[in-house]
Amino acid sequence: MNSNPSTPMNAHAPSSSSGGAGSPDSNAPRRNSKRPKYSRFTQQELPACKPILTPKWVISAFMLVTIVFIPIGFTSLFASRDVVEIIDRYDNACVQGSKSQKVQHIQSATSNKTCIRSLTVRKRMKQPIYVYYQLDNFYQNHRRYVKSRSDQQLRNRGDENDTSTCKPEHVANGMSIVPCGLVAWSLFNDTYSFSTSNNIQLTINKRHISWKSDRDEKFGSDVFPKNFQNGRLIGGGSLNESIPLNEQEDLIVWMRTAALPTFRKLYGKIEVDIEAGETINVVVENRYNTYSFSGKKKLVLSTTSWLGGKNNFIGIAYLSVGGLCFLLATTFTIIYLVKPRHLGDPTYLSWNRNPGGH
Amino acid sequence: MSSNPQIPNPHLQSSSSQSLNFGSKGLRHGSDSEGFSMSRRDLNDDDARLVYVNDPLTTNETFEFSGNSIRTGKYSVITFLPRNLFEQFHRVAYMYFLIIAILNQLPQLAVFGRGASILPLASVLFVTAVKDAYEDWRRHKSDKIENNRMASVLVDHRFQHKKWKDIQVGEVVKVSANETIPCDIVLLSTSDPTGVAYVQTINLDGESNLKTRYAKQETLSRVPEKDFINGLIRSEKPNRNIYGFQANMEIDGKRVSLGPSNIILRGCVIKNTDWTVGVVVYAGRETKAMLNNSGAPSKRSRLETHMNQEIMLLSFFLVTLCVIVSACAGVWLRRHQDELDIMQFYRRKDYSEGQVENYNYYGLGMEIFFSFLMSVIVFQIMIPISLYISMELVRVGQAYFMIRDDKMFDAASNTRFQCRALNINEDLGQIKYVFSDKTGTLTENKMEFQFASISGVDYSGEKTEFYGEQGGYSIQVNGEIWRPKIKVQVDPKLLKLSKTRDDSISSKEIYDFFLALAACNTIVPIVVNASNPNEKLVDYQGESPDEQALVYAAAAYGFMLIERTSGHIVIDIQGERQRFNVLGMHEFDSDRKRMSVILGYPDSTVKVFVKGADTSMFKIIDESLNVDVVRATEAHLHSYSSIGLRTLVVGMRALSVSEFDTWQTSYEIASTALMGRAGLLRKVAINLENNLNLLGASAIEDRLQKGVPEAIESLRKANIKVWVLTGDKQETAISIGYSSKLLTSKMSQIIINNNSKMSCKKSLEDALITSRNVINVTHASEDDASSVALIIDGTSLVYILDSELEEQLFELASKCAVVLCCRVAPLQKAGIVALIKKRTDDMSLAIGDGANDVSMIQMADVGVGISGQEGRQAVMASDFAMGQFRFLVPLLLVHGHWNYQRMAYMILYNFYRNALFVLVLFWYVLYTGFTLTTAITEWSSVLYSIIYTAIPTIVIGILDKDLGRKSLMTYPQLYGSGQRKESYNAKLFWVTMVDTLWQSVVAFFIPVLAYWKSDIDGSSLGDLWTLAVVFMVNIHLAMDVIRWTWISHASVWGSIIATCICVIIIDALPMLPGYWAIFNLAGSGLFWICLLGVLIASMIPRFVVKMFMQHCKPCDLQIAREAEKFRNSMEITRSGEIEMNLPHR
Repeated sequence: MNSNPSTPMNAHAPSSSSGGAGSPDSNAPRRNSKRPKYSRFTQQELPACKPILTPKWVISAFMLVTIVFIPIGFTSLFASRDVVEIIDRYDNACVQGSKSQKVQHIQSATSNKTCIRSLTVRKRMKQPIYVYYQLDNFYQNHRRYVKSRSDQQLRNRGDENDTSTCKPEHVANGMSIVPCGLVAWSLFNDTYSFSTSNNIQLTINKRHISWKSDRDEKFGSDVFPKNFQNGRLIGGGSLNESIPLNEQEDLIVWMRTAALPTFRKLYGKIEVDIEAGETINVVVENRYNTYSFSGKKKLVLSTTSWLGGKNNFIGIAYLSVGGLCFLLATTFTIIYLVKPRHLGDPTYLSWNRNPGGH
Repeated sequence: MSSNPQIPNPHLQSSSSQSLNFGSKGLRHGSDSEGFSMSRRDLNDDDARLVYVNDPLTTNETFEFSGNSIRTGKYSVITFLPRNLFEQFHRVAYMYFLIIAILNQLPQLAVFGRGASILPLASVLFVTAVKDAYEDWRRHKSDKIENNRMASVLVDHRFQHKKWKDIQVGEVVKVSANETIPCDIVLLSTSDPTGVAYVQTINLDGESNLKTRYAKQETLSRVPEKDFINGLIRSEKPNRNIYGFQANMEIDGKRVSLGPSNIILRGCVIKNTDWTVGVVVYAGRETKAMLNNSGAPSKRSRLETHMNQEIMLLSFFLVTLCVIVSACAGVWLRRHQDELDIMQFYRRKDYSEGQVENYNYYGLGMEIFFSFLMSVIVFQIMIPISLYISMELVRVGQAYFMIRDDKMFDAASNTRFQCRALNINEDLGQIKYVFSDKTGTLTENKMEFQFASISGVDYSGEKTEFYGEQGGYSIQVNGEIWRPKIKVQVDPKLLKLSKTRDDSISSKEIYDFFLALAACNTIVPIVVNASNPNEKLVDYQGESPDEQALVYAAAAYGFMLIERTSGHIVIDIQGERQRFNVLGMHEFDSDRKRMSVILGYPDSTVKVFVKGADTSMFKIIDESLNVDVVRATEAHLHSYSSIGLRTLVVGMRALSVSEFDTWQTSYEIASTALMGRAGLLRKVAINLENNLNLLGASAIEDRLQKGVPEAIESLRKANIKVWVLTGDKQETAISIGYSSKLLTSKMSQIIINNNSKMSCKKSLEDALITSRNVINVTHASEDDASSVALIIDGTSLVYILDSELEEQLFELASKCAVVLCCRVAPLQKAGIVALIKKRTDDMSLAIGDGANDVSMIQMADVGVGISGQEGRQAVMASDFAMGQFRFLVPLLLVHGHWNYQRMAYMILYNFYRNALFVLVLFWYVLYTGFTLTTAITEWSSVLYSIIYTAIPTIVIGILDKDLGRKSLMTYPQLYGSGQRKESYNAKLFWVTMVDTLWQSVVAFFIPVLAYWKSDIDGSSLGDLWTLAVVFMVNIHLAMDVIRWTWISHASVWGSIIATCICVIIIDALPMLPGYWAIFNLAGSGLFWICLLGVLIASMIPRFVVKMFMQHCKPCDLQIAREAEKFRNSMEITRSGEIEMNLPHR
């Protein structure tokens, strides 16, 4: 990496000095002096703030972090504690047998896939109760998978044949698939219906479970599913071809690919409170194949807080950081008290400490 | 011939191979003698260029010689794109970008989209291309002006105007006074009947004095218009040696040899000669001026060399990461082998066609290989290639400030500081050894005649402001008053004696002495107009400042040289004009160390005058004539040189007719010889210069430059060892050493001054013992001022350098605080620099001003040229150039320190910045089935090093100052931090890497754990990571910024804002999968909590360590910084300190 050799700074600046071996009375006046124009910028003297962290500042900084972090930590912990969460893993419970038997069962078109689960509510759940399905070990962030979609096609009716990025799920029977790609093809299609122990049906609101921005801009209102799940391998759910994509909210939710291999997706909302002690019966249509790659399927009912779902991590992390800073503040206070140092004392300079050492 | 680079010192060759070859140049008296090796080789027709005088068509029959149009511009409109790209891709960095971009274009490896993968390459190419195009456009403009200048060329026996670009080799051109020579021409005739032309070579080598060039006897009387010259010139092939030329001319059946004194080079200006006519031998790009028109030498800075080692480590990290990813990917694929076909997120089989085939799957082995390549693409910025580009920009910025530093501007010579090499700025902060020339570097090289000793009588009486009556000597010429341009203080006694003309011996000797001073030189008097219309000033132009001083002195005593041609001189002696024929002249050369001139008196007696260094002169003086005078003169010389004066000895001898005849024949044979002319002439000179009558000696003062003692003291306080290497005598050197505070009376001196290897060995051994004793005593007495000074002379060095004694010399020298080398030849200077360079890791800096310092300047790690009196060769070979020695202090202590601190920090920071991003990507890859998905959008990954984080590091690298100029100048010891490599070393690198690892873990895992088992989508988490990483690196930088100016604020906070804007824009594009993610994200509290947590938790370890170190183990810089801020009675404790440079205005 040599600097361009043809641009030496000032290299060929001709010397205009009138030379002449020392001519104090040189009568050639010095025109155009090359003295650099003075400015605070070129002399590197711009006004500047030079902060130096004195002990006072260091301790205050640590204390400030403590003061901010400890309350946030506690609030987060309380928020998380208030969240009621019911998790039910049903993939193994609904289908018994060896792996190949399970796969066969789930792939068969005729087998009865209905499965009934009952959940006990231990703590009162206030509405809205969010219903999620959780998949474990499902790499929605796999590079083959995330790339296999066509965002153009989803938006515009005209770009229906823009399926080059959707391979290997871009055409079926010689025609383009809408929506194409592995992401859409693998649409999750288990369904749940809930009833209380008194056989009262709990309605699930599936409207507006997706982002508004996705419905408005990303998925076209004039784009209808076409030729979908018509291939030789069925990956998941199918779509009603008469409903435009921007109203197919399950698809919209599914197409926001998850960041991590264990993820939840919103299935719907239950908009009534459920009292503690109540048992909820869930009828699961267990159609989605996670058996072939040993993935797990879970049904999650959860209330929510300002922080989201149940997760103690943030609270613990904030408390630890806050506590650590408090500890550091005390440690530094002790250090400064036990071993004070006069700031800027020249006697600490190395050549003053050991004379003759330079 | 030690000054001749044609016979290079073996270990010099490597370092000087890239540099300019300026060929040989004599030492102080500047003779243009040909090199031995050149003249011994005869030109045969194969490697000669044949030029038929006044016959361009025959000359250039085969069209192999270039025309005179020049093109310094590299590109034309059509060739710009391909050529510029070709040149840019010569850089490793760009090749790396290119290879990565090409890899990414393979469908199997397409990690990024087309646009995103090309963007980094395209942006650097574009920036560089714009810069190159602008520079080239300026060059084209100046080419056009140059090519369209007019010259007068002989066409059809008439001189006609022609554009420069149309001049052809072989044509005859005529150049008038004050015109510029359009191409390299061999002189045929001039307006001067003796064929002399005076040229000024300021455009070529910066020397402002006039040089003489001669037309050959055979051609000088021809008038080209009438008398058709029909000759053939055989010249050597074009080369860049501007001080050498070898050719011969066949004219009228005679063969005449041509040397460097017969050619005038393009760019020179004709002065004092009405016209000159010459034949073009080299034109256009083949002229010596154009061949020398290349850039500065290229060196690599020490910091960059170290950095490259760490970059190798980073490459190793990169490979490790890639191996981990590809191995894990292999294991994963293997474990899921049976499930891959239909697994929803893999789907190996493609059912879309009739036949079921594998889609994008090439077997396990290939998949592993592909994931290795893909991980290289994803993690590419682990190797901070953009750092090289940032470093260049930072160096340009630093150079800008160095050039514009008011305190390094020399008002006397109106020169700014020059940065010729752009890649070793930071080396200035780590210098341990300074090798300095003396004359012109420590001293002003403005010679002033002080004392004379004439035939054993010392005229060093009272020095007064006495210039003789009416302000100096003057003469009357045609009613005008002519006086010398420079007044010289005279000794009244001597002035009186010089005016008395009687037949006493002393009067005669004084007469001869001043006649010798006025005649025995190569000075050309030039009469210039003075402010008073009745007055003219005589300006003595010559190559040697010593000679000028002597001629001005002679003029002050009434021996005024008023005319010189190649055949005669006219001297006005006490108002009486006398003409002497110059029958011959033996110019100065560094072997003889003297010059002589043979004068024919009007009464046809012939005398030879010789002037030279005392050692060479006393050998050839006939001591039997007057022993007392010789002894007395020797004593005077000793006393002169012990007060630091430069001395010259003058001798004379009358030649008998027979002696003169023998000399003349051998002189003519020698001067027309085709081969070995210089050697033959030397032999003739040596035969002539003997048995001289001692006339006397002169003493010239070369004053110390302003601020030199203070500068040397500062440098020594900064723990920089200053060595002075000079060609002067030992006594002169020592006295200058005292006056420049290099030597102090407390020091014990070790002098090595031997004539054989054995005695050198012995004195080295003795000296080692002495030095040990002195140092032991010093330690006992705890007096740090007394130390050892080594004084060694060139003769001893001849036996020591390049022998096994070198090691001992090194050991001795490294114990000494001061080393003074006197009487050293140019190549020995380089040898001494090499002595240190080979044995230590310490950085060396050489500073000098003359041609004799070039080898030393090129050998040292950093070469500094003083743009002073002695021409520009040192400057041309140097990395930095400045007007005064004392500027070395601000250069090293202030700018060097800043440059080093800034660059060192910038390198470490860039390592951290890129590694942090790569590690965050890497952690994520572990959660994607090892498939190199990036949650951070591809655009953000590309823009990360282009927009998000590029500006602050460059701005801080240019502007941050750890300490103010005043503190650095008051405490030169602070410079030690650079010498000890405190700001960049392996330990710091590893600490930084560990810190990076921690920060990346925090940045990645806090969001992952916070969003675990939630419905977060990839784009949102990616945005969170993007922002977190960018905030982190900027806050990390902000924690280390020492001086916050508005520019630093703007760049740091500005780039955070710019990042936010970019992320928002990217997320506002509906065709990208991450549409609107940032807006949804920013609406949730968890996002802000995560961001805050990441920022604080990542910075805590760094902050704690930094604060702890600051308090418990404060470095000098830290204390000085505190002192600067709290104004802690620093001035009171240090009030005795001399302020070197008061703050401006």
